[in-house]
Amino acid sequence: MCPHCRCLEFEVAQLSGTGTLYSYAVLHHPRNPAFDYPVLAALVDLDEGIRLVSSLVDVEPSGIEIGMRLQVTFAPAAGDRLVPVFRPAEGTR
Amino acid sequence: MSRGGARAVIAGAGSTEFSRHAGRTELQLACESISAALDDAGLRAADVDGLVSYTIDPVEETELVRSAGFQEIAFSSRIPYGGGGSMGTLQHAAAAIAGGAAQVVVVFRAVRARSGASRFGAAKTAASPTSSHSGSTAMQWCMPYGVLTPAAWMSLNATRYMHAYGVTSADFGRAVVQLRAYAERNPAAWGYQRPMTLEDHQASRWIAEPCIRLFDCCQETDGSVALVITSRERAADLPGQAVSIGAAATAGLFEQEIASDHYRPDLAVMDGSVALGRRLFDRSGFRRDEMDAAMIYDAFSPILLMQLEGLGFCKPGEARDFVADDNLALSGSLPTNTNGGLIGEGYIHGLNLVLEAVRQLRGTAVNQVPGARQVLVTASRTGAILTRD
Repeated sequence: MCPHCRCLEFEVAQLSGTGTLYSYAVLHHPRNPAFDYPVLAALVDLDEGIRLVSSLVDVEPSGIEIGMRLQVTFAPAAGDRLVPVFRPAEGTR
Repeated sequence: MSRGGARAVIAGAGSTEFSRHAGRTELQLACESISAALDDAGLRAADVDGLVSYTIDPVEETELVRSAGFQEIAFSSRIPYGGGGSMGTLQHAAAAIAGGAAQVVVVFRAVRARSGASRFGAAKTAASPTSSHSGSTAMQWCMPYGVLTPAAWMSLNATRYMHAYGVTSADFGRAVVQLRAYAERNPAAWGYQRPMTLEDHQASRWIAEPCIRLFDCCQETDGSVALVITSRERAADLPGQAVSIGAAATAGLFEQEIASDHYRPDLAVMDGSVALGRRLFDRSGFRRDEMDAAMIYDAFSPILLMQLEGLGFCKPGEARDFVADDNLALSGSLPTNTNGGLIGEGYIHGLNLVLEAVRQLRGTAVNQVPGARQVLVTASRTGAILTRD
């Protein structure tokens, strides 16, 4: 439900897939067998103004910086589904 | 509730031992702490007509009534928000007393956070009694990414806080050193006679880098705490020393999650604590500088600093200096978590902080603040000011 107008209708919208790293954490412990460690957990502010919990790929922990530009990609999750994850945007590093 | 209007008092407080393996059920632990609290108050089980606990407490009311020997319950409620709601128990109990719904209310929390079916700090991978304190958003939006634990959820906020104000792991460590110094002298604490230096803290392994090391985490504890709340008039006839609930408040905000609180605009500020501070102080007539001690929910050390700022004891970004200047010590301006906190003493989901506030106001704390008259107890979005008349 929309918290502003209580509307139940929704539509699927195409987003740019770009955003900025708002915060992150390199998760070491405890470990769950479904994930590779360390997990690079992220909060991503999409350019459209939506904040997502996600994770980072194609970056070393030492290369993570708050404010870095990010580009969406898709990674496998449980049950053959894909989830949106983020890698550093091209040309920003 | 405002200053001078306190009608409800804490007439008794009790607990079990705090351990990592209680060897008995939460129901039994609850009964033991409740018996201790009633003995402390000079009341009998048959006097109890009200119950307040947390929504996620596993002890079921009808079982507790039978096991504890209560005769007729006139009021019962549970508070939401997990540990952040801890002090809402006092608000509910005080409101029940003030409104006449009950005469003697027992507040309790019983946990086997270490030896239970699911360790409290462990990964939540499916809905369970201990995952419900995260809220449903965490389950949907955090789990697919391996953000599975309270430490993982909160680390995303804590990293942003560090980034906003240039806070370091050592800044958190200095607060932990103070908590552990208190705990070292507290025989009830996990940290009793276990000294810890800043070097020890900095050498402890990462749980969530760059903000939460092992020693930044609270304990996972088995045990129970109970409090007996009644009216000032009733307490006047009892042998024990009651402390007043001078103010109590809750602040739950729009789009605020529980532990996975990732959607407020500025995560470097715990704006639930800001709102709580307004309700607790600015609306009640109590002043921050009147607090003789504070008990602040320290599930992880970063949120201790963030709450000091949110509640208004220091400006945004200045908690690290406030801590480094020893303001949390007995000699400081705001002796804080003098039992060692949830990090040093143990984690009865926040309610053991109330126990310590009661001891401070009775003058029976191990790390006693001389002449303490007003003590703040708070857990991110709920809080109370307890006073000695």
